[in-house]
Amino acid sequence: MLGEELWRVAGAALVELSKAEFADALETIGARDNFGLDPGKQANERQREVFWRALHLEELAIARGCALGRESAWQRFLAQYREQLTRAAVEMTGSAALGEDLASALYSELFGLTEREGKRWSPLLRYSGRGSLMGWLRAVLAQRRVNQYRKIGRETALGEIEPAARVSEQLELKQLEDLRAAIKVTLSAVSAEERFLLSAYFLDRHTLHEMSLVLRVHEATISRKLKRATERLRKQLMGALRARGLSWRAAEEALGTDPRDVDINLRNLLQKSEGDPNSNKADLDKASLDEERQE
Amino acid sequence: MNWNFQLGIHPDADQLSLFVEGAATSQEHERMLAHLAECAECRKVVFFMQPHQETQPATRTPVKGWIWGRLLPVGLPVAALACGLIAVLLYIRPHSRTPEIQQQNASARPPDIQIPQTTVAPTTDSETVARSESSKKSSERNALSSNPSRQENHHAAGSSLTVSRAANVEAPQPTAAAPSVSVPAGHAGGSAGGVIGGIVSELPLNGRSVTNLQQLQPADTKTAASQNSLTKKKDLGGLMIDQASGYDKTLAQVSGRITDRTGAIVAGVTVMLRDASGETRQTTTGTDGSFHLTELPAGEYELTATASGFRTSKQSIELNPSELAMLHPVLDIGGGAEQVAVEAASPTVTIQTESANLGQVDGGQVVAEMPSMNRAIALPSGLPVAANVSHGKRFLSLDNACNLFLSRNGGKKWKKVNPQWTGKAVRIELAPAYRSDAPSKPKNETMGQASEVAVFLLTTDVGTVWTSKDGAHWHQQ
Repeated sequence: MLGEELWRVAGAALVELSKAEFADALETIGARDNFGLDPGKQANERQREVFWRALHLEELAIARGCALGRESAWQRFLAQYREQLTRAAVEMTGSAALGEDLASALYSELFGLTEREGKRWSPLLRYSGRGSLMGWLRAVLAQRRVNQYRKIGRETALGEIEPAARVSEQLELKQLEDLRAAIKVTLSAVSAEERFLLSAYFLDRHTLHEMSLVLRVHEATISRKLKRATERLRKQLMGALRARGLSWRAAEEALGTDPRDVDINLRNLLQKSEGDPNSNKADLDKASLDEERQE
Repeated sequence: MNWNFQLGIHPDADQLSLFVEGAATSQEHERMLAHLAECAECRKVVFFMQPHQETQPATRTPVKGWIWGRLLPVGLPVAALACGLIAVLLYIRPHSRTPEIQQQNASARPPDIQIPQTTVAPTTDSETVARSESSKKSSERNALSSNPSRQENHHAAGSSLTVSRAANVEAPQPTAAAPSVSVPAGHAGGSAGGVIGGIVSELPLNGRSVTNLQQLQPADTKTAASQNSLTKKKDLGGLMIDQASGYDKTLAQVSGRITDRTGAIVAGVTVMLRDASGETRQTTTGTDGSFHLTELPAGEYELTATASGFRTSKQSIELNPSELAMLHPVLDIGGGAEQVAVEAASPTVTIQTESANLGQVDGGQVVAEMPSMNRAIALPSGLPVAANVSHGKRFLSLDNACNLFLSRNGGKKWKKVNPQWTGKAVRIELAPAYRSDAPSKPKNETMGQASEVAVFLLTTDVGTVWTSKDGAHWHQQ
């Protein structure tokens, strides 16, 4: 009864989706996100209905229809999203040609030209309907753009990182070691939001306005949070340095160290990917961080 | 999390879009932030997902705080209502205070001043000029303020007004009990305000200014005052009468301005006021043609205005107590040689005025001051000519600022005469030199050659008289 109603509301018939296919999509999405509940909790009928009704049902039907290769679904998809997708790709790349190439590559991928485990697979199957389809498309497009960017960035960034690493390795000053350790301790206690702010602002050099768009708050709020975070970090760093036996003056001098000397540490601490299997150093840093946490 | 696009565990597009669109749960949001803090690639993805900054306006933080959110809908109407209430109170407040101030007016009893029955001491020219200057504006205001209430009594006839009010109109006597007349001429400014201010200053008015009293005086007071004005026996040029408020409320004042038929101001006119007993008071009009006589007992007077080159103007007036008579005598240009001697009994000063002939004086080529000519003269100061006399081609002109100018070529070029006197020059005239040994000039003397017997006379505001033969060098007489 509910499935039929949702199927009708979504206009799934227009994209050649049967009630069973649509109901299967709903069940899959609900199970994947546990109907919006915490892991381990069992959703009742009411919670399931609320979760399903909150979905972008019409867009979900289009995405599912496209993933299953329904012609009418693709027509609707192209009519509604092609122009927006191309424009978003042009914005991301900053070039019309690159943007159109990026959008075309994504179309082919979305169309299901790739196969996984012997089956035709389309990224549109990952669309849950919780957000807008256009937002999902932008996210996919941005990921593709970052992959391109990372390929180019790796070729140029290695040369820049090497000297910095050598500098840090050559510096065996006790003051710098103390500072590095203090930073580890301090950053371990920083909240996720503050770490994101610090990384985006100081490492990625994003503007307050850009960060405010991501977090959906005013840029003044971002500025205030950043100021608060840096002030608290400084106090905690001073405390950590003093705890390691440095005098107040020595701690001040340590904080006045050239940031380039501790830049590697900051990147490792703030930017490490915990699940990155290729990053041995990250694992080491994580281990040391855990040890300090236990202390 | 998935492994679809990058190495390692990263949020998929669905989770990223939920985070960017704000549709993620709080736990998902925290997890995403934690990952973004560590993953530069995902941060880039997130920032790439943002729409173009130029087309996207900056988001604004909504107004937080339940107090403002709840008070704003109520506070705005309340504030508007309060503003309106204040405005109404401010509007009503002056009107509601009117009776209170009127009661205070009623308590303002004029001081008992004994009317001096003796002859009023004459005032010198300097005194009258000073008083005239100080009360000129107030007199004009009196005239203007009294006009609306007197239109029914006046019949305008050209530039002059004829007062047709009956002489036997009984004017109500000012009494302290009558609020409307307790402060006579309270609406008058200048000296009247000063007098009222002096009275009011003794009253418990809580520091209110006299202006309030003047503004709040009822219109009936003006009407009553206007009915108690001067009775005129003959047509006078521009007679306007107002209730005076001099130093002594039983004394009257006379003020006015003398012009010629063209409306030009005539300076240096001797104005003499003779009462029934023959006592006289006199003054001289200033550069603006105004005159002012104060402290005049009530009664009938004859006002005589004499000026060189003009016919003497005489008119009779009757002054009631506490009145200010505004006169505007108009002088006619004299037709021929005319010598007017106005004499009065002591202690007034007798001035013998030698009126100049328009053509000749004592056989010389003398042209007396001609008001119509004054307007044709353009002085270097740019001010209008107040007085002008000439002797041959030698012209002397006095402008409104009391500056004296001399022309030796019949008015073509003018040069300012440096004052060698103290004070301001208020009057210039041409008089024959009383020299017994002066040789008579031949009758065929051409114009432009000054007669040696004619001298220029200059009267200052301090009363000194200076003489000059050439108009440039002056000697005190």
